[in-house]
Formats: sequence, C-alpha cells, structure tokens
Amino acid sequence: MMQSVRAVDLGLMTCRVCAQVVGRAMVGAEVRCARCHRVVTARMTGSMEKSLAWLIAGIILYIPANILPVMHTSSVRGNSDSTIIGGILEFWDTGSWDIAALIFLASVAVPVTKFLAIGLLLWTVRWHSTWARHERAKLYKFVEFIGYWSMLDVVVVAITCSLLQFKALASAEPGLGIVFFCSVVVSTMMAARSFDPRLIWDAPGGGA
Amino acid sequence: MAESKIETLVPPVNVCRECDTVYTEVELRRGELARCRNCHAVVARHPHADIDKALAIAISCAILFLIANLTPVIGIEVAGTRTEANIWKAVLSMGGGWTTLSAAVLVVTMLLAPLLQVLLVIWLLSFARFERRSPGFTQVLALLHELRPWSMTEVFLLGSLVAIVKLSNFLPINAGPGVWALGALTIMLAMLGRLDPSSWWALEHPEKP
Repeated sequence: MMQSVRAVDLGLMTCRVCAQVVGRAMVGAEVRCARCHRVVTARMTGSMEKSLAWLIAGIILYIPANILPVMHTSSVRGNSDSTIIGGILEFWDTGSWDIAALIFLASVAVPVTKFLAIGLLLWTVRWHSTWARHERAKLYKFVEFIGYWSMLDVVVVAITCSLLQFKALASAEPGLGIVFFCSVVVSTMMAARSFDPRLIWDAPGGGA
Repeated sequence: MAESKIETLVPPVNVCRECDTVYTEVELRRGELARCRNCHAVVARHPHADIDKALAIAISCAILFLIANLTPVIGIEVAGTRTEANIWKAVLSMGGGWTTLSAAVLVVTMLLAPLLQVLLVIWLLSFARFERRSPGFTQVLALLHELRPWSMTEVFLLGSLVAIVKLSNFLPINAGPGVWALGALTIMLAMLGRLDPSSWWALEHPEKP
C-alpha cells in the first residue's frame, strides 16, 4: 500500500468544528480557523485526561444505576421497586424474551461494551501501541454509533410513568436509579467525544 | 495582525478528521463523497448541497415534530380514566425531585436538540436558496455540528414501541397518531442527517457556482 502523508508531519491542522485545514503557527501562538474563527489545535487539548475522567465517572455511576430502583410501581396487587436487571428478568419470565433481549442490549451490553472499548483505546494510546490500528479505528466509530441507544431504558421508564397514572389502581413513578443511569449515558458519550481518534495513528512508525 | 490571529494560507488539501491522513483535493460530482483510504471516514463531500431537497425535508420534519408532540403517541383507558404519553408528557413524568435531572437530559435529547436542528437548517437554507448568506451563518453551522450527537428521536420511537409491547400484556393500550408522526420524523431526520449539514460550509459563498 502507498505510504500516506499525515497532516501533523506537514505542519497542517484541521478545525474540529468546520474541518477547514489551517497551517500551524510558531510555537506557543494560538491559531484561529480562517472560516469559523474557533481556536484550532493539532490534537484535542487534554483528550486522554478528559476521556479517562468521563470514563471513570461513568463506571462509578453505573454501580448505583444498577443497585437503585429505576421505577416504583404500585397497584392493587401491592407496591414494587424494579431495578434495570430486575426489569429484564421480569420480561424474560413473562415470556417477552425479545423485549428482555432489547433492554439487556441497550442497558447492559452497550454501556459495558463502551467501558471496555474506551478503556482499551485509552490504554493502547497511552502505551503508543501500533497493534491493530485499523480495528481500533473501527472500534472508535462503533462506540460513537452505539452510544446513545442506552437512553432506551430511560425513555421506557418515562413513558411508563406518564401512562400508569390510575391512582390506587396502578401507578408508576421514576426511581433514583434512572438519574444515575442517565448520567452513565451522558458520561460515556462525553468520554467517546473527548477521545481524539487521530491519537490511534500517532505512535512512532505511524502512517497506514 | 495580532499574533493570536495568524491565518496561514494552505495548499488545497483534504485532511481526514479521524486519522490525519492528507489527500490532494479531488473533483467530486453531485452526490459523491470521498472516504479515507486508511480509516474509511468521510473526508470530503460534493460541496453544493441540494438546497431545495434539504429544505423540503427540513420543513416536513418541523411539521411532523409538531404532530408528534401535539397528538398522543400512546393512550390507555382504564375505568373511564384516560392517560396519554408523548415526548412532552414523558418528560413531565420525570419532573420533581432528583429525577428532574433525567427530565433535563430528556428535554435536551428528545425535544430541544432535534427541534433546534430542524429550525437552524430551515433558517440557513431559506437564505441559501436565494443565494444569500444567512445571518449568524458561522454560529448556526457550528451549533449544528455540536447538536448532532445529542439528537435522539429514534431512541424515543423505539422506547414507545417497547412500552406498547410491555404494557399491552395487562392493559388496553392503543397507539395514537403521534407514533406514526414519530416514525415518519425518524426517517426524515435520518434523510436530513445523510445530507450532512455539517458539510455545508461551502454555502458561505453562494454567489460562486
């Protein structure tokens, strides 16, 4: 394959907002984009640190998100609190295995995959790894793509709570767990967005 | 010129935003896009968006958004009491106490981000259509770029379908007109996304062919 040239080696930078290519200035000088006037840097500033901070926040928040109930329901049959896992098991037991699988995918598989994937990306970049760059670039795109589907359970809880308002007969209220779960989604999205994918290709022996 | 405002002239190149590979600029035909040979990210698109098409899609989105929010997406009637759900009512049910934080996230991702996206596109293109640069052009395109990942209408659609299946096991539930509007809105927003508003910077100079 033909050896490719990288912008960083030519002293060029790309604006993060509008993709305009600009030249690098002398050391220490701030460069602004000619088109959208934003400050342009060769790589996102503090990408690794920010991404790691959001990732750790997400993992910590994921614990209460799973322990605390996401919804309180009360009906003539009595009161009950349901957690994310509890809700999935309930669907499974009542024969709705498809819905159980869907919620498992959105609330457990997607966040855990994101933790592992972003962790792997940060770890390999930290040690200047040249291992499986193409695959890691794909992994990054995948993480960005699946990111927001975790909001599914938050939406289901919100809709259920707005529908089940029959006073003593049947009613539902959101639990504290859903706040933590929502924060997990936002944190992991921020972790993915803070990560600069160009770092994957920056290790010595770079290029394709 | 102040040192902080250095703008260096650069050769006509495209740079991949995801892996930093440099390409010489290529001539693209209408509807064509160039992908990075290294990481397959989109590097360049044909700069002249089909303005009328995009404007038509954006206006349809605005109308569908209105219908989806004014009509019930799901309704239940039990013992003479009727409850309904749509985006706005789902947000309200999260209000009060700590769960207001989740309500705020829902407001941004399900209401504000998609609505603002559609309105900004309409604003931008209504001017571009008459070969004019819209006021606040730079801010509008930069905001569109930031908003994109936070717009989650399709997640709400899937969530409503899950809720319908979930509750239909033990309650008489019916889908309202809102669910069709939501479905159509999801498709139209995806079509708008495919036209990639964040690549419309070339509209800045509409007088050029």
